Amino acid sequence: MTIKVGIPRALLFYEYAPLWISFFNDVGAEVIVSDKSNKRILNNGTIYTVEDACIPVKLYNGHVLYLKDKVDYLFIPRIMGVYEKEYICPKFCGLPEVVKYSIKDLPKLINTKIDLTKSSNMKDAILNMGSYITTDKKRIISAYEKALIKYNEHKSSMKNTYINEQNEQIMIMGHPYILYDEYLNMNVIKKLKSYGYSCITPDNLDDDLVNEYANSYPGKIFWLFFRKMLGSCLYLIENNFFDGVIYISSFGCGIDSVVAETIERRLRRETNIPFMLMTIDEHSGEAGFNTRLEAFIDMLEWRKINENNISTHGNNLYSRENNIRGVRY
Amino acid sequence: MKETVYLGIDVGSVSTNIVVIDRDQNVIIKEYYRTMGNPIKVLKNGLKALRDKIMDEMVIGGVGTTGSGRDLANFMVGADIVKNEITAHAVASSTYVPDVKTILEIGGQDSKIIILRNQIVSDFAMNTVCAAGTGSFLDRQAARLGIPIELFGDLALKSQTEVRIAGRCAVFAESDMIHKQQLGYSQEDIINGLCEALVRNYLNNIGKGKDILPPVVFQGGVAANKGIKKAFEKALNCEIYVPEHFNVMGALGAAILAQKEVENNKTKFYGLNIADIEFKVKGFECSYCPNACEVIGIYKDDILAARWGDKCGRWQNIEIESPLS
Repeated sequence: MTIKVGIPRALLFYEYAPLWISFFNDVGAEVIVSDKSNKRILNNGTIYTVEDACIPVKLYNGHVLYLKDKVDYLFIPRIMGVYEKEYICPKFCGLPEVVKYSIKDLPKLINTKIDLTKSSNMKDAILNMGSYITTDKKRIISAYEKALIKYNEHKSSMKNTYINEQNEQIMIMGHPYILYDEYLNMNVIKKLKSYGYSCITPDNLDDDLVNEYANSYPGKIFWLFFRKMLGSCLYLIENNFFDGVIYISSFGCGIDSVVAETIERRLRRETNIPFMLMTIDEHSGEAGFNTRLEAFIDMLEWRKINENNISTHGNNLYSRENNIRGVRY
Repeated sequence: MKETVYLGIDVGSVSTNIVVIDRDQNVIIKEYYRTMGNPIKVLKNGLKALRDKIMDEMVIGGVGTTGSGRDLANFMVGADIVKNEITAHAVASSTYVPDVKTILEIGGQDSKIIILRNQIVSDFAMNTVCAAGTGSFLDRQAARLGIPIELFGDLALKSQTEVRIAGRCAVFAESDMIHKQQLGYSQEDIINGLCEALVRNYLNNIGKGKDILPPVVFQGGVAANKGIKKAFEKALNCEIYVPEHFNVMGALGAAILAQKEVENNKTKFYGLNIADIEFKVKGFECSYCPNACEVIGIYKDDILAARWGDKCGRWQNIEIESPLS
């Protein structure tokens, strides 16, 4: 019988899905991914997680609960970092424990430690990951090589021609597990599209470009997520064809308290691109979220109408004669 | 000939406001009702009162709705424009104070800051997951101290000594207040301390990183509170302007937007007689997927007329019958 490996559709799944799925399939396991996030998954996760955890972690536990009785193994890697001297939120380093001590009667965990902060050698980690399924080392290595190709293909498929200098576009920033989880982000990308804006995420930008910009930052890049967001932000500053930036953060995120703040300051100091920080948490009422989104779009539209109208004296944009007071819609 | 007027409705969490303006954007009627958790009833009563007031002398040429209940209100009255409250507030302020650069707005559950440059909104922020430092918090504290909220501001102005109250969180502020009270500080000083705490919290949270330049306009229900106004003036070191219609600015903005939207077209307004229609809401939890959306159906004279609250849009089609619950 094939061994069933469950992968929760949460957190770094959104970054590494093609790699993980392809790898476990090729070493001979059957991969089961949990359903897309929904209310039941979140509710269950909330019950089983410590109150202070951020909502993505609560959601992760919800996905674990979904898979718990359906699989032989749960893949919950212990990711310490994937770049030299760049670290990740401590919750990822202790993710197997976060899950283990929240939920009882779990299947066996594949909790391989992935630590590229000191050396870039993945071999031991890969062999460990595969050893739960097969003893054939060659098969494991070749599965990994194939998976890596799939992953890179997926990455480059996201790059293509999204960015357009004419189009009306908004950059959406945030951790991948917020940006690509439609339930968590209340379908923000679809909503913005319905207003006629296309959405660009940091993943749509070329990695080399992002890294190049990020490296020009004089400070130390301590957090992994900071690299991508900072690089994108600096890219935005030099390539001024974005109408706005929306940063979506989950309530209580320690990393975002630094990252979002730095991005906002940089943008405000060096550009006049509108920026908005949206905080999400457990509330399911979308009204507040939509209000902010609508107001942000109004602001962009308002600016556009007036763009060609700015008087050199900086006042009296409107004329009472035309009965246009203040705003023009 | 009957005068053409424009109606603005702001259904907020704490208050429901109705404003009628003429063609030149002068306010003819303004009404401020407490929503009391029942927006449908309050809005209906408001419209009834409005009907009695304007009788046959005016004709409503356009309607705009705003506030967190804007969609509900739109459904009931048939609005020409439905706008979020941030835009509505900015529109109203910049109409009456054309060179306004900063708008401070504190309402019942929301507080926001709107930054305008050259009459255009250039930035805004709204409180996120926390309602500390909004009107409902003051309401609650007033009730606890047994003081009518209307007197809060005047009492704050009488304060002699400075008392510092923790403003970060409403719950902590409350315990801090109680401690100070037990130490024997006068009520005026504590109230003033509370006003300053609210302002501090507002500026640190919502006003964080914003370039607050005069002229500064302060509006929303809380602008009635002179203590808060004084605290803002002290903190920002500039004069704060409270517009005449500060507590209905959202509705006013909606009315102005409605006037622009309609121009010479015919309004979609159902007429003031909707005040006689029976509106009912009935909700159910959808069982088609694990999202279990809470779907709300609104009934007009017992006939299902609209539904919302579902993520997938299945129930938007009112031909489908609601499940029996």
